[in-house]
Order: sequence, then structure tokens, then C-alpha cells
Amino acid sequence: MPFLSKTTTAFGGLLLAHACYSAREHTTLQSLRAATAATLTSSPAAAVSLPVDIVIETIISTLIILLGLVLATRPLRPLEWRVWAGKIEREGEEGFTDGSGAADKGFVGNPFSVLESRPNFVDIRKQRREFAEWVQKGTAQQ
Amino acid sequence: MAQVPVQTIHRDPQLFYWILFPITIVMIITGVLRHYATVLMASAPKHLDQKTTREQRAMLHGINVRGNHHVLSKPSFTARRDALITAYESGAFLKDPDNRGQPPPNPMTDPGAMEGMMGMMKNQMAMIIPNTLIMSWINAFFSGYVIMKLPFPLTIKFKSMLQAGVATKDMDPRWMSSISWYFLCIFGLQSVFNFLLGSENAANQMAQQMTQMGPQAGQMFGPGVDPNKQFLAEAENLAVIEHHSVLDGVEQRLLDQIKV
Amino acid sequence: MAPSVLHPPSHLSPAEALAVSQQAPGILRASAAAVSSSPLASLLAGPEDPELWLQYENLIVSCLRTGDDLAANACLRRLAIRFTAGNERVQALRGLVREAEAKNNGELERVLKEYDEILEANDTNIPVAKRRIALLRSMGRLPDAASALVRLLDFSPTDAEAWSELSDIYLSQGLYPQAIYAVEEVLVLAPNAWNIHARLGELQYMAATAPGVSTGSYQKYMAEAIKRFSRSIELCDDYLRGYYGLKLVSKKLLSNGAKAMKQADDSEFALPDTSTVERLNELATAKLAAIVRHSTARDRGWRGYSEADVSAARVLLTEDASAIKR
Repeated sequence: MPFLSKTTTAFGGLLLAHACYSAREHTTLQSLRAATAATLTSSPAAAVSLPVDIVIETIISTLIILLGLVLATRPLRPLEWRVWAGKIEREGEEGFTDGSGAADKGFVGNPFSVLESRPNFVDIRKQRREFAEWVQKGTAQQ
Repeated sequence: MAQVPVQTIHRDPQLFYWILFPITIVMIITGVLRHYATVLMASAPKHLDQKTTREQRAMLHGINVRGNHHVLSKPSFTARRDALITAYESGAFLKDPDNRGQPPPNPMTDPGAMEGMMGMMKNQMAMIIPNTLIMSWINAFFSGYVIMKLPFPLTIKFKSMLQAGVATKDMDPRWMSSISWYFLCIFGLQSVFNFLLGSENAANQMAQQMTQMGPQAGQMFGPGVDPNKQFLAEAENLAVIEHHSVLDGVEQRLLDQIKV
Repeated sequence: MAPSVLHPPSHLSPAEALAVSQQAPGILRASAAAVSSSPLASLLAGPEDPELWLQYENLIVSCLRTGDDLAANACLRRLAIRFTAGNERVQALRGLVREAEAKNNGELERVLKEYDEILEANDTNIPVAKRRIALLRSMGRLPDAASALVRLLDFSPTDAEAWSELSDIYLSQGLYPQAIYAVEEVLVLAPNAWNIHARLGELQYMAATAPGVSTGSYQKYMAEAIKRFSRSIELCDDYLRGYYGLKLVSKKLLSNGAKAMKQADDSEFALPDTSTVERLNELATAKLAAIVRHSTARDRGWRGYSEADVSAARVLLTEDASAIKR
């Protein structure tokens, strides 16, 4: 998907640049013509607006750039609480990865799990014992 | 198209190197210095003793119970409400229950409040002193002439802002004097400071003034507020709650909502 | 994949804790040994990364758990250099390290005395107060721990973690109403925490099935348990724990449904009628079966459940199926 969105954005940018260039050329031409007309007839020439095709090109190119940028965004996060919570429970870390596969930095899993794991009250001696038992079991199995 | 005759003023290109850049650089450096001066002068957050903490958190607890009463069942909510109201009304959570009903102390004599004011004063001084110095420096050396022309047209209203110190009536507002460049720097350097110092810098006085506009969080326990009155008000708030539980009919909601 | 070092590691499995603590040498090597707390130094150094300190904190816990005391001490030293040794959290972490290194009860007593001294000098030092409570509990002095915790909660009643710990202590003493009260306080502070709703449901279920419970309070507990589990599912789609509890409670209710239902007065929750319970049971069974099926097949988007939870659900479902066959 990133390739498609980037191409679209680049194409839109190209169109926009072209529209800008055309508008500039057109204004230069107009002011030149006005200057010559003023020297010839000494009457002010009517102000000429931009030709319609340049205007259309500008608008369309902007829309194309927008489309490209929108395509490049990540999938949106669920808005409803229960859908979001369900996604955390069901998909775990996997549901919150971006395109490159790395987990989102801000991902914390269930934000309320600290209320049950209670890191400030950790019983370190018990955890140490359990870990030692786990290691022993691992070596015994081998 | 009526052509406005373009005003041309021949300036020494050296103006650019000897006025414009020095002012900008000085402004940036003072901003950075101000940031570090504020960091150095910042006093550590005041240590609260147990009774103050208790008073504040008991208040917050009541607010929490009031706001989230719907997660509790009716008996447990009523028990909590009765306990809290009794404690609030008897002043059990007050820091010094003897002072009940007395007028709050004058904030000028309260040392805690004085400290906060001193902090504010320090910040203000850190803002005012460099600004006055730079302003007088610019006025003494660079006033009275224009130094640059902006690359975009402006309306006549900008004349007073951009050409401060240059008293000419007919000059195009695009020309600007050194003192105006200084003002533009004050207002426009925020993003530069963000880039240099990170987004939480204290370099820009505009940002500081913005934060002073909305001091709502600290207001609740600030000096001059009588905690007893707050507790009584909170007790009243708790008393008028019409309890409903989110658990009422939750099974039916669940069955309607989720279809297998 | 190793779990992130940025999150508190106390709930990880031994294998995961080992993986985290093995990152310690790399992190210690990659970052500067001493970051001074003086603001003058920050003029010269680049902006510091607050995540680094979080990493150190979590590394200390993981390393202590896996017995890598050297790395834990190195992390602690760096934290002490940056935040000074008098910082409340640094004091608590130092206590943690000493607790882990203590060989016998005497040394633990000494750590406890140290905590007492710190608390005497500064009675609002919440991290150290929490460590002291954890140590008391670890030494088996449950009543002391509970009373210390109640004192802490008296002056800081907005600490959800402490309320949760209190509930756990009461539960281990078998005091169900007190444990339920404490979990309700957690819910007041975090009203949308789906796991706490499920936890409260579990507590109610335990209280209901405890020996010697009268019929009236049995019904009250069961009614609230079923509502709490329903609420946790309402807050979180496909919540395995919630459905498990719902299934458990509704099965229990159906198995002795013949019991005459006392009409509860309107201030308390009434048990839902039998047809509703049956439908809830069906819903929970179907959802659990779907969850078990999907996560056994490792379907995409269903890999977040832990193995142990899924296998427990499977056991519950098989029991149920065999009961129907009989």
C-alpha cells in the first residue's frame, strides 16, 4: 500500500506544480499584454481571470494529493470502548502493529492490568523462588 | 491595472549582516538563556505533609464516588455516601479541625502562598529584565532607519507595527525598521525554541502568558480556599445524588446487543 | 518476541522475565553510565529520554527475579546518580534490591527497620510505604500488612493500586465482604476497567460458593456476580475471562435452579429469571467455543489470549459437554 499512496501523492504534486507554472505563465503574458496595450491605447485593460482549465487542474491535483495522503494513513483505531478493549484482548500486541511489523510504542495492552499485577507491591522474594524452581524444572527436563 | 510606482530605497547590503542577523541571534540566545535560568531557579515542588495530602485526597475521593456512583450497587453506594457525608460534615478529614469556621488566613502572611508568589515574581523578572535590556540596546544603536523590505505586500494598518521609530507617512508598509524586527522575533521564535530546546521550554514569554491564563487545576486547593466549605459543598453534592446502577438490567442489554 | 522493557514486568512468565533481563547488558552498555542531575550538565548533553529511567526501573525488577543482582545494582546506581539517593522511588527500589538479596529473616528485619526509619522521617513516602507492606506480606505477617495498608489508604484514598492490594490481602485471609469493598473502591477510581469488573465478579462468585453462606447472601452474591461479568463483557467484546465467569455462574445457577428464589427487596439486585440465565449460559457457551476454536487454530486476529486461559475455557466446555451427554 505505501507504494500506491506515494505514487498518488507524487502524481498530485506534479499536477499541482504544473498548474502553478501555467498560472504564472498566464499572468506574465497578461501583464505583458496589458503593458503594451497601455502604451498603445492608454486605456486600462480589463483584468483577466485565470482560464478555467488551470483552476480545474489545481482543484483536481489537490484532491489527488489528499487521496494519496489519506491512503498512506494507518488503519483507524476503534472508537467505541468495548470494540477497542475487545481488540486488545483478542489480538494482543499483534493488532497494534504498523506496516513494518514493530509494535506500536504506545501500546500497553490492557491499561488496567497494572491494577491487578500491582508492580509497586511486587513480592520479589517469591518471584525469585518461583523463577529458580522454573529453571530447575527446565534443567531437569533436559 | 493601475501600476503603483514601486518605491525603491537603496540600502547598504551591510545592514543585513550587521543589524538583522545580530538582532536575531541575540534574541535566540536570550531565549535559550532564559530557559536555562528558569530551570535553575525552579524550586522543587513543595513537600506536602500527611495531613494536607489526606485532606486533598479525601476530597478527590468524594468527587470520584460522586462521579462514578453508577458502578456501585445501591447498598454499597449508600454505605459510602453515608460514611463520607458524616466525615465531611464532622470535619474528620480537615488538616486542623480546630480552625473550622474561622476565616481563611491572609495569603500575604501565609508562608506557603508567599513562596508561590515569589516563584511567579522570579519568572516575571526573568522575562522583563532581558526584554528591557535588548529593547534599549536596539533603540540606542539601530533606531531611525529601515533595514529590510518584506517579500510580500501588506496593508496600511501594519505601518505602526513595522515602522516603529521611523516617522514617514507615505512609505510602503513593507519596509520595516529594526525595532519592528525585534518585535517580530519576540512573537515568531517559538518554533525555533521548540526545535532547539524541546517543546516544554520556558524560553518564550508568550507561551508562559498562555499558561497563566488557565490556572484551573491548582485553584482547587490553592491558598485562600476554605477546605471546610469545600467539604460541606461536596457533602451536599453527594446527598442529592439520585443513584442508578450500571448493573441494572445489564444481562438484558447484553443479550440484546450480542447475537451469537 | 521479547516483551517491551517499558512496561512493569511483575506479571510476566519466567521465560519472558528471563528474556527481559537478558536485554539488561545491552541497555546498560548503550546508555551513558552517569547522567548528572545538575541542570548545568543538561546544557552540554542532549535531551534526556524519560523512557530510559522507566527501562532501568523495570530491568531492576526483572533482573532481581532472574538472579542477575549485578545488573540490578548497576541500574539502581544509575538511577541514584540521576535522581539522588533521597528520591522516594529510588529509596523503594533500593529496598527492593536489599529484600531480594537478603539471605535470612534477620536481614529482612533489618530492611524492615530501614523502611520504618525512612517513613518516620517522611510519612508521605508512598513508594516506600508500599514496599514495607509488600515485605510484611511476604514475611507472612498479613494482619500487620493489612493494617499498614489501611493507614496508607486513610490518607491516600485515591490510590487504586493500594485498594487492589488490600482486596488481595483480605481475600487471602478469607474476608470476602472486605475484599469486595476494596475492589469496589478500585472501580470507583477506574470505572471502565473491564478486568476489575470481572475480578469483582470472581470475588462475588467465590463469596457465594464459600462454605457456610446463607441462602439470602448466596443469591445476592450470585446475582451481582452475574451482573459484574455481564458488565465486563459489555465493556470489552469477546472477553474470555468475562465469558468464562458468566458460564461458570450461570451453570451453577441452573444446576440448583430448583431452589426457591427469595424475593429480594428492591435495594438489592435480584437474580434474573431462569430463562434469562439459560440464554446467558447459551451465549457464553457459544462465545467460549468460538474463542477456543479460533485461538486453537491460531487464526489471524485471535492470538491475544493466553494459552492458560484458553485451555481452562476448553476444560470448562468439555466438562459441560460430558455433563449433557450423561
